[in-house]
Amino acid sequence: MTDSAGVEAWKEQTTAFDRIQSVASAVSQPQPVSYIAAEAHVAENTARDHLTRLVELNVLLRSDQDGTALYAPDPLHTRMQMLRDLLDEHDRDGLIQLKTSLQSQIEDWQEQYNTESPSELRNRAAETETAAQTREMRNIASDWELILYRLSIVEDAIENYNTYSKDFQLSA
Amino acid sequence: MAGSSDSFDSAAASHRALRSIKQELDRHPIVTGTRGFPAGDFAKVVADLATERWGIDTDNPKLTARWFAGESQDARPEFSFQYSDTERDFGWHYHEQEHVEGWGHFQERTGESAYSYESYTFPSQNPAGLVWDVMSNLSSRV
Repeated sequence: MTDSAGVEAWKEQTTAFDRIQSVASAVSQPQPVSYIAAEAHVAENTARDHLTRLVELNVLLRSDQDGTALYAPDPLHTRMQMLRDLLDEHDRDGLIQLKTSLQSQIEDWQEQYNTESPSELRNRAAETETAAQTREMRNIASDWELILYRLSIVEDAIENYNTYSKDFQLSA
Repeated sequence: MAGSSDSFDSAAASHRALRSIKQELDRHPIVTGTRGFPAGDFAKVVADLATERWGIDTDNPKLTARWFAGESQDARPEFSFQYSDTERDFGWHYHEQEHVEGWGHFQERTGESAYSYESYTFPSQNPAGLVWDVMSNLSSRV
C-alpha cells in the first residue's frame, strides 16, 4: 500500500527511532510491537529493536500478556521529563508564579461553575440543557484534570528545586 | 489520579499525547514555533505556521491542538486540530457532536458565520502520526 503524503513527509523528516519513540510515548494503554510498528510505519523487527532500547533507557515499560510483549510509557520518565522542562524554563520564582497561575485558573473554574472538582463538573455536565453546554463543561473538566496533574509536578519541582537544579559544573 | 479507572490516569495520558503532538509539530518544516505547557497555554498546543513555505501568503496562521485521552483506558480519545488565520477558521475534530454522523468531522467557517460540517475519517488515533496527516490536509485546504 502506498503511504499518504502525510506519512511520506513524516518519514522524510524523522528517523524510525524518532517515530517509534513518539508513537510509543503517546499510547493510552500498553500496545504490542505490531501496533507500534504499524503506527510508526517501520518494520516490526526494527520496531522491536528500538522498543527494547527504549525499555533499557527507562522511557518505556514492558509487560507480557499471554506471551505477547506490550509496551507503554514509563510514568516516572514522563514525570521526570516534565520536571526537566520546568527547570529549563523557570527559576524558583518563575515556578512559584506558574503554580499561582495554575491555581488561579482552577479557582476561576470553581467559582464559575460553583463546583469543587473536575469529576463533580463532569457529573453536572450530564444535567445541562443543550449539547453545547454539556460539551463545554466536559472540555473544562478535562482541562481541569490536566492542570491538576501538571500542578502536582510544578509543586514537586518547587519542593525539590535545590536538589533537581544542582549544577554539576559548579561542584566539579 | 484523574480519570474514572483505578489504573488509568487520563490526565497523564492526555499530557503525554499533547507532548507528542508538540514534538511532532516542532519537527514539521512549516512550523516556526510551538507553545504549550510549561511555556504557553496550560491545556493545549499552539503552533505558528510559515505557510509562505507552501507558497501561500496568510496573516497570522496558527494551528491549535487539543487532546483528551478519555475517561477510561478503553474510551475513545477526543481531540481537535484547528487552523486559523485572520480570514479563515477550520479544523479536523474527533468528539461527540450532533452535526454529522460519527465523531470524526471537518468544520469550517469564514468570519463570524456559522460553522459548516462534513464527516471525516481519521487514519489513526495515535497523536504522533495524526499531526502529519493533519498538516498534509492543511496544505491542501489553505
